[in-house]
Amino acid sequence: MSTILQLVVSGVLIGSVYALMSIGLTLIFGVLRIVNFAHGEFLMIAMYGAWAISHWLGLNPYAAAIAVVPAMFLFGAIAYRLVVSPGLDKPHLVVVFATMALSIFLQNAALMLMTADLRDVPPIFARSISVGSVYIKGELLLGFAITLACTIGLQWMIKRTYLGKAIRATVQDGEAAMLMGIAVPKIFLITFAVGSAMVGLAACVMLPLFSVFPTVGLNFVLIAFVIVVLGGMGSIEGALLGGICVGVVQSLSGYYVAPAFGQLFFFLLFLLVMIFRPNGLLGQKGAAMLGMNE
Amino acid sequence: MRSFLRLGAILVGLSLAATIPAKAEDPIRIGVLLPMTGPLAKNGIENWEAMQIARDMINERGGINGRKIEYLQGDANTPNAAISETERLISKDGIKITTGSFASPIAIAVSQAAERHNVFHWETTGAAEIITRRGFKYTFQVGAPARKYGQAAVDFIVNDLAKRLGKPVDGLKIALLWENRAFGKSVGDGIRAYTQSKNIKLAYDEGYDQTATDMTPIVQKLKDTGPDILIAISFPNDAILFQRKAKELDFNVAAFIGVSAGYSSPDLRDSIGDSVNGIFVADFPPKVNETALKPETKKVAEEFYKRYEAKMKRPPAGHASAGFSAIWALYTEVFPKAKTFEPDELRDIALKLDLPDGSLVNGSGIKFTNFDWPDDAKDAGQNLRASIGVWQWTKTGNEEVYPPELATKPPAMVPLPDWSKR
Amino acid sequence: MRTVKATSEGAERMPWLPRRGRISWFEIALLLGCAGWVGFGFAPSLQDVTILTFLFAGLALAWNIAGGYAGLISFGHAAFFGIGAYASTILLLRYNLTPWIGIFVGALAAAIAGSVLALICARLKGPFFILSTLAFAEVVRIAALNWSSLTGGAEGLSIAPMPNLASMVLASKSGYAALMLGYLALAYVITRFVEASRFGFYLLAIRDSDEAAAAAGINPLVVRTSAMALSAALTGMGGTLFAQYFLYLDPTYVVSPELSFQFALLPAVGGLGTVIGPILGSFLITPLSELLRSHLGNAAAGLHLVIYSFGLIVVMLYFPSGIAGALDRLKRRRSPP
Repeated sequence: MSTILQLVVSGVLIGSVYALMSIGLTLIFGVLRIVNFAHGEFLMIAMYGAWAISHWLGLNPYAAAIAVVPAMFLFGAIAYRLVVSPGLDKPHLVVVFATMALSIFLQNAALMLMTADLRDVPPIFARSISVGSVYIKGELLLGFAITLACTIGLQWMIKRTYLGKAIRATVQDGEAAMLMGIAVPKIFLITFAVGSAMVGLAACVMLPLFSVFPTVGLNFVLIAFVIVVLGGMGSIEGALLGGICVGVVQSLSGYYVAPAFGQLFFFLLFLLVMIFRPNGLLGQKGAAMLGMNE
Repeated sequence: MRSFLRLGAILVGLSLAATIPAKAEDPIRIGVLLPMTGPLAKNGIENWEAMQIARDMINERGGINGRKIEYLQGDANTPNAAISETERLISKDGIKITTGSFASPIAIAVSQAAERHNVFHWETTGAAEIITRRGFKYTFQVGAPARKYGQAAVDFIVNDLAKRLGKPVDGLKIALLWENRAFGKSVGDGIRAYTQSKNIKLAYDEGYDQTATDMTPIVQKLKDTGPDILIAISFPNDAILFQRKAKELDFNVAAFIGVSAGYSSPDLRDSIGDSVNGIFVADFPPKVNETALKPETKKVAEEFYKRYEAKMKRPPAGHASAGFSAIWALYTEVFPKAKTFEPDELRDIALKLDLPDGSLVNGSGIKFTNFDWPDDAKDAGQNLRASIGVWQWTKTGNEEVYPPELATKPPAMVPLPDWSKR
Repeated sequence: MRTVKATSEGAERMPWLPRRGRISWFEIALLLGCAGWVGFGFAPSLQDVTILTFLFAGLALAWNIAGGYAGLISFGHAAFFGIGAYASTILLLRYNLTPWIGIFVGALAAAIAGSVLALICARLKGPFFILSTLAFAEVVRIAALNWSSLTGGAEGLSIAPMPNLASMVLASKSGYAALMLGYLALAYVITRFVEASRFGFYLLAIRDSDEAAAAAGINPLVVRTSAMALSAALTGMGGTLFAQYFLYLDPTYVVSPELSFQFALLPAVGGLGTVIGPILGSFLITPLSELLRSHLGNAAAGLHLVIYSFGLIVVMLYFPSGIAGALDRLKRRRSPP
């Protein structure tokens, strides 16, 4: 009994961290309708940034978020201007490949600058919290709390502010939004930058849990995509739900079937959802049919 | 008539001069194939540094009979790139000798490409058994094959740990965890076969995906199994994740034996701090008991460590030492006897080598199989005297603890204290 | 499939530059040039690059059938590549079946897999389709990695490098170059045939709009499935040839996302939905990446990829319709109004 409890609790906690890293992607996906293949590398860059601040200024990674999040906002805006927006009016494949090439570029630039060594920060909490027979890692619990706070905060922003309304309108129908006077290109830029800032926050939460090295993004990017599509493109609660699903599936399948299959089970889960509920769990009806902005 | 004869003599002399194979000053060119980019880059780069030190050291000593060693490098970051790079060095640059490759999939690919062109390949560290089981004539695996890594770990348990823990071998619960790519699987297969041959039953035997981001299910299952000893084959990233998760879930064992790769990386201490103390590692010895080495070897070893630490700011990992040892043996035991440096000649010299344990910097000897291995008729080029021992992370550094002949200190911290006390 | 006759004037003369539905002098010259390159053995040190270039050109053409013409952007084609490669290799190693037959068995297996993928993704478009193909390829990769009894698992499969024509292991590089050129020619002929046929128009129809195509009486599912199956089969054949050249299969690298991207990148750079595009894409990118790696791989770890990816970004953003598109613009600028 305590085994299942541990597996589920750990799955939910790590799933929420996966969700945090995917929130940025689902926003970008939902609003711009593009696949950012460099998402894993944005995470990697942000983790290196958080590590650098931690290492040289002695702050803990959570405090480093004060600098990392705005820095990633800026980074996202620049990347958008240089690599994404020139490609938006062209066949969608252009943005896909441009972001793919960007991911190779960032991986190898990081290799040249930071070498292939693994970088870590010292643990924040000396030992994990035990509740009954279940152990909970402090950093994971903190990550879960931050994710929840973020989700609620973003939801508030989306539902109560003008920017949020503009974003929702653009997600529903970009052309109509433009007709309503919404400066859609500006929304695109802001969304991409905000999405990147979210990745920055996720990096600060993930650094105490994972080492950073140039190719670390590869381990996470597919998880992020699966979560985004599972949860529904553009849906923040969907990302949270999708993340938790993925975390729990990974946990249970790793125990009851075999850890050798690794990510197999949630790819199968993903394909099943695609067959039976292609809009994702909480996505808009018809989202999967919309395809890309042409 | 006389001038004609003179002209003829000059022409004959010139053509004779042209047919002399290599002038004494021509460098000996070796192709070095290592992963310099991609996920394996870190260890590839460390290996490369060790190779360069070897080249510098031998060239400073005057090279081989006056000829200097020159490297031509290829970035073999995937098996396909390895094949392409090897082919390029052979076809374009005319290389007849190659070396490398750190990782098993790369080693398999490089040796394959080399053998196709009958090029002499001196594999320093790649461990997969299949490297020498394909009937190749020109591939020599100086480092230990995968099964030796596992055997070292198991022998350590049987001959040493069992007594220290005060339990008979068949009363011990032993768990085996292996990453499921070429190296982890080979070693895991070897351990399984070896324990079966000794009638030891494994309480847990699972492969896992090396890119896993959550170790909870693995650690939880191990907790539920409750082993005394865990043998784990992991790469650096997953080793760190595993150790952290084990601490988080309070999973304790009496002894933890990591096998090479992740557990022998100096970064492990950087990443998990003092938790690393007490972990045993079955791998190439980083340093051996000096009495085990021949005196000349001892001097070479010291110089290597000095240079490596000066360049990389930390002592060499086992695989870097192994890379150096292997290539140094090539320079000092094979090349001096060569005249044409053709693969056939190098092969003959290599097969005749009979160096006792302790001849190489990392304590190994050299004696190659030659299609005469009892298990496999196609086995040739395997080094029967490649040494794999067990060393231990301690507060004062890494100490070789097994076998006793190579040990610098006896094993400590047995049984391993619980997480709360480390 | 009935061929559709082109009706433009100048139907008697062969065009100079590549055009839809017509063979041009450009392509003839290119073919003769390649044949000559192989036959006369120019630049022996570049033979390895040549072999890879031809092979990837064929693979790019294969991908292009589904991705370029039908708009089925797949990032999972490495799965079909791997299925073809493993099928023929397993048959060779276990049952001594010659790869000359095994290549077609592999193509069939890949075609079946392609159909399955098309059915799974029947209702999907855009990013959903792309990610599903990625997920599919990952499932195949993990299966290949763990099903050791069938695929040799992580240690992979090795074919003995003893030259033997019956086992498609060739002694000389030129032999392989000729083999790959043959594959390229086959892919070219099939693509030309498809492009000129009614089926080709069906592909274009579903690329532009499934609903409109359905309204015109085309069954999108059938067309998608056939396109994917054909594309997969041809890709699988490339996989077999790859296996017979490299003589070593490792699941992590053979069924990798990187390979899948390459299959899609080459047509994208060369020009999607054209016949000459994938060929030009491979002729440009494959030698470039190989040469970059060999010359800069030693300088600083990662430098060659930094340069390569930077170049890719620039090319993708400023030549979105690829080289073929640029050629087209050149042609239009030069032709009389």
